[in-house]
Amino acid sequence: MSSVLGMDNDEALTAIRKAEFAVASAYEAVLEAEKAGANVSDLLEKLNVGAENLTKACMLYRIGDLEGAAHFADLCRSSVVDVTNEAETLRDLAVVERKKQVLVISLASTFGVGVTVFGGFLGWRRFKEWYLRRVLKMKPEVVSNES
Amino acid sequence: MNLEDYQTVFTVTVLGLVLVAASPTISLYLHSGRERFSELWVLGPNRMAEDYPFNVTRGKRYSVFVGVGCHMGGSTCYAVYVKFRNQTQPLPNATLSEPSPLEPLYEFQVFVADEMTWESQVNFTVLGVVRLRNSTFVRYLSINDVVFGVNSTATWDSEYKGFFYQVFFELWIYDTAVGSFQYHNRFVGLWLNMTV
Repeated sequence: MSSVLGMDNDEALTAIRKAEFAVASAYEAVLEAEKAGANVSDLLEKLNVGAENLTKACMLYRIGDLEGAAHFADLCRSSVVDVTNEAETLRDLAVVERKKQVLVISLASTFGVGVTVFGGFLGWRRFKEWYLRRVLKMKPEVVSNES
Repeated sequence: MNLEDYQTVFTVTVLGLVLVAASPTISLYLHSGRERFSELWVLGPNRMAEDYPFNVTRGKRYSVFVGVGCHMGGSTCYAVYVKFRNQTQPLPNATLSEPSPLEPLYEFQVFVADEMTWESQVNFTVLGVVRLRNSTFVRYLSINDVVFGVNSTATWDSEYKGFFYQVFFELWIYDTAVGSFQYHNRFVGLWLNMTV
């Protein structure tokens, strides 16, 4: 199959496959960034622009408009071309941020646990002393045996 | 209470406080166990679940909204395939989780963040309708101004009195492990009575 402007079926299909690959790679990079804790909402918007162009390319290919299909496939690739790099940068930043967060939280928790255990131990000792003093100060009560 | 009872109370209280102090660290390693699922819906022209197009005539433009809700625990890539069938052609098989074997006409691909929704308008027009004695033939269906050849015949349904077709939407999800879209076992449809 070839169109008026000479675009053949294979060329259009190749353009679409390349666009699909570009979107899939970008998506996987975005997922990794998201798992690392990055805010990926801007990247999702870019991916959606790419996906819209890709679906147009697929539909035009299906109805035989090969020129249009290749055009939208190229548009798709150019709209997601930076997404992978941006996602990797965001992922690296998120990993560093996450490490910092884990360190701070772990230190704070360890400190909190230490203070609680130490405070509990001291508190118990004081209480025990107070309790024993109080017991020792008690006078035996004389109870009459009226059996 | 004797001293041993006080000791038990102290120990339990301190253990409780230790758990509270350690909870931020514990939460770093615990994952939400909530159910993961997706939603698919079709709304009428006013973005409400009413006034769905039913009696359709050739050349007239009808409008619905299709929507997807993501509760998959992360951003998800969906495809919504728009298909067209007469009463004898197969729908998706919900039991076997299989899509309809019919070729998709229009399609949407969309990335939806977790706990977010996506919605899009779908305008369609039935074109090239021929009324025969006991059947109706539809040659084209235009969806969002893209014209697709459908070449579909519906015979007269004497029980429900009409020539029935169905526009239906299948939800597919991109599986990164497989590297392709997989049918997500969700579809919604609109019955259309071709009144010519």
